[in-house]
Amino acid sequence: MTTQTLHPRVRIVWILRSVLVAAVLSAPFVGAFYFGYLPEWAPVGAGAVFLVLGVGHSVLRYRRWSYEIREDALYLDRGVVTQVRTTVPLVRIQHVDSRRGPVERGAGLASCVVYTAGSRGADVRIPGLTPDGASDLREELKRLAIRADGEDAV
Amino acid sequence: MKLAPQSIPYRAFQKVAGIVVILFFVVTSNDWGFLTAAAAGGGVLLLALAYEVAYYRRFDYELTEDTLDIASGVISRREREIPYRRIQNVDVSRSVIQRAIGVAAVDLETAGGSSTEGSIRFVTPEEATRLQREVQRRKSDASGGESGKRGADADTRPGSVGPDEEELFAISPGELALVGALSFDGRLIGLLAFLGSGSFPVLSSFVPDASAAAISALAIVAVGLLFLVSWIIGAGLAFSNYYGFRLLRAGDELRYERGLFRRYSGSIPTEKVQTLSISDNPAKRALGYASLSIETAGYAPGQGGNYGSQAAVPIATTERVYRLAHEVEVFGTPSFNRPPKRIRWRYVFRYAIVVGVIAGVAFAIDWYVAADIPWYGALALLLAVPPAAHLKWKHRGYWLGEDHLLTRNGFWSRSVTVVPYYRIQNVIDNRTIFQRRWNVATIIADTAGGSSLTGSDAAAVDFDTDEAVELRATLQNRLQSAVRERRDRRTAFEWFEGDAGSDNSDTDETSTTDAERSTDVPESTDDDPVTEGVVEPDVPDDGPVRPDFSGGDRDYSKPAERIDTGEYAVDRFPSDVDVAHRGRTESESDDTAEDTPVNGDDSDDTHDDSDDANDPANSER
Repeated sequence: MTTQTLHPRVRIVWILRSVLVAAVLSAPFVGAFYFGYLPEWAPVGAGAVFLVLGVGHSVLRYRRWSYEIREDALYLDRGVVTQVRTTVPLVRIQHVDSRRGPVERGAGLASCVVYTAGSRGADVRIPGLTPDGASDLREELKRLAIRADGEDAV
Repeated sequence: MKLAPQSIPYRAFQKVAGIVVILFFVVTSNDWGFLTAAAAGGGVLLLALAYEVAYYRRFDYELTEDTLDIASGVISRREREIPYRRIQNVDVSRSVIQRAIGVAAVDLETAGGSSTEGSIRFVTPEEATRLQREVQRRKSDASGGESGKRGADADTRPGSVGPDEEELFAISPGELALVGALSFDGRLIGLLAFLGSGSFPVLSSFVPDASAAAISALAIVAVGLLFLVSWIIGAGLAFSNYYGFRLLRAGDELRYERGLFRRYSGSIPTEKVQTLSISDNPAKRALGYASLSIETAGYAPGQGGNYGSQAAVPIATTERVYRLAHEVEVFGTPSFNRPPKRIRWRYVFRYAIVVGVIAGVAFAIDWYVAADIPWYGALALLLAVPPAAHLKWKHRGYWLGEDHLLTRNGFWSRSVTVVPYYRIQNVIDNRTIFQRRWNVATIIADTAGGSSLTGSDAAAVDFDTDEAVELRATLQNRLQSAVRERRDRRTAFEWFEGDAGSDNSDTDETSTTDAERSTDVPESTDDDPVTEGVVEPDVPDDGPVRPDFSGGDRDYSKPAERIDTGEYAVDRFPSDVDVAHRGRTESESDDTAEDTPVNGDDSDDTHDDSDDANDPANSER
């Protein structure tokens, strides 16, 4: 399997989320403006800064995200500020979920979650898949995990 | 089987104690009659007793053929079956009162769930020991796959206590004193710092007219006292925790006992050991001592805490600790690779920034409260920055052994973590934005051990990106070959049942091949035919016979690769269809072909074609 990228629509989900986060973060500034501690431009400026950061982060995040199923492991490459590359050996997969949150359903997307017994990377989420793609990936990983015939080593 | 009868009143009093205390306060603060309060307390006690009688009647545990069944619950009932194979630890603890009335608490841990899975409160100490031993015996029977023979054997001598115990370590009074002396409980300081952080400016505004010298003298005395008290608390805790510590080996299991007031004893199957970590601090290093802890997947993260119930050798000479560690996991003599020297500059900058922040805070306090603090004194810390950076660099490292990854981190509390390749769950490559500037990366080998919250993950921190990528690939390959070896040994064991000689020779030769592997990076393909030739057991045509643990009618115990369907697939399970054509040898040669692209970071496109050709899954999609 070649390196896969996420569905472009996942940016919409992430951007919506960053808009929400920006709104929450700039709420104190709005409050401070309301009670007259800050000039008018402060909440606007703060909101704009948070929004730009969030949207930029979402876009970069989409560009960074890739995953790949190789012969004996699932590779994920992601992260904007801290780049994380995770190797999940197929023999270590415990179970696989495909799931769709409300926002994801709205955008017509789904994600796939791979669980291992590890303590740090116990669950790895691959977002931004089409619903069919997510269940295909789930089936594929299930099949590969069974074929790998591993023990969980715990 | 039932709990010990004396657990009924004990449990009832345990529950009621809190309520009685509350009642006491109510009585003293209100003008209730003492009689009313006593009646209320008695009523609550009666209720609790009734509940505990019901609990006792309902609670039932049973050691069946291959599970431990626990039925419990008064209001909502629960029946739980724990397969022996899945049990990680069996811990027994007895507090002073429990010892006086002759009961013990038994806790069984499995890898799943966030709390203790099997908690039996309380049984007699003899029963607790019997449970511990019996679980071990049945577990080794279950994994040995010859339960019928040995089970019958054990039935003839019901009083058997399993294999002989061999003492690995017993703490000597001198070592116990050392543990106490070297223990320091930082929690009090943390608490005071937390409480005091808000009140510092307030306090200093109260004492403005005292001379600065008097204040600083007082502060030094107070801090000294605080440290002394913390040290005494730490020493006391460590002393009562590790009093009478013994570590024993009994067959395939480690057992430990410890505790002055509350006695703990527990068992850890060596098969379940996830990681070992050997830790020391400058004081211990100077004296040539270290401590060892053995981690399993049984305890949920954070459970157990500082003085957890995991078996840990609190202190022993470094040499002895390594010998004990080798007793559990056989790794060689490590020689650590250090991160590149240039990374020391990174630490210099980092510490310089910290010193700058401290000086800034001191200056701000000085400016804000107008006290005459010599804030620039903080800058003297800059002198300590270069040695600190050097020491930090010096104590980092990793080493790839034959079957283990060792990582080392930390100066003040240095820990060497030993991870068998077989136990690796994920390999994570982390690069923060600052690390990218320095062109370095951190590789974390994640295991199922429950200590990630305390930050003792096996991590090779700040290595050259190229080296890190290579390490990541190496770990992944070694894991694969460890899994393969384990699987082959499993099948070989089943086939050459009773023929220990051939089994041993198999594993020996495999390990030598791995030794060859470890000398050069395993992108070489030439030693793989050797591995095949040695490891591949002579399997008859109808496939290996393995114990079937699955409930359904699909025989998962049979590896999919071995289903012989001839020219076309006749398997009922389509997910295995494409696998059926793939022989074992073919899949192994696939693996070796795969070894090379694993190393590549982003330049894997060249190999994708061969991937597609080999993997029938892709042609299917």
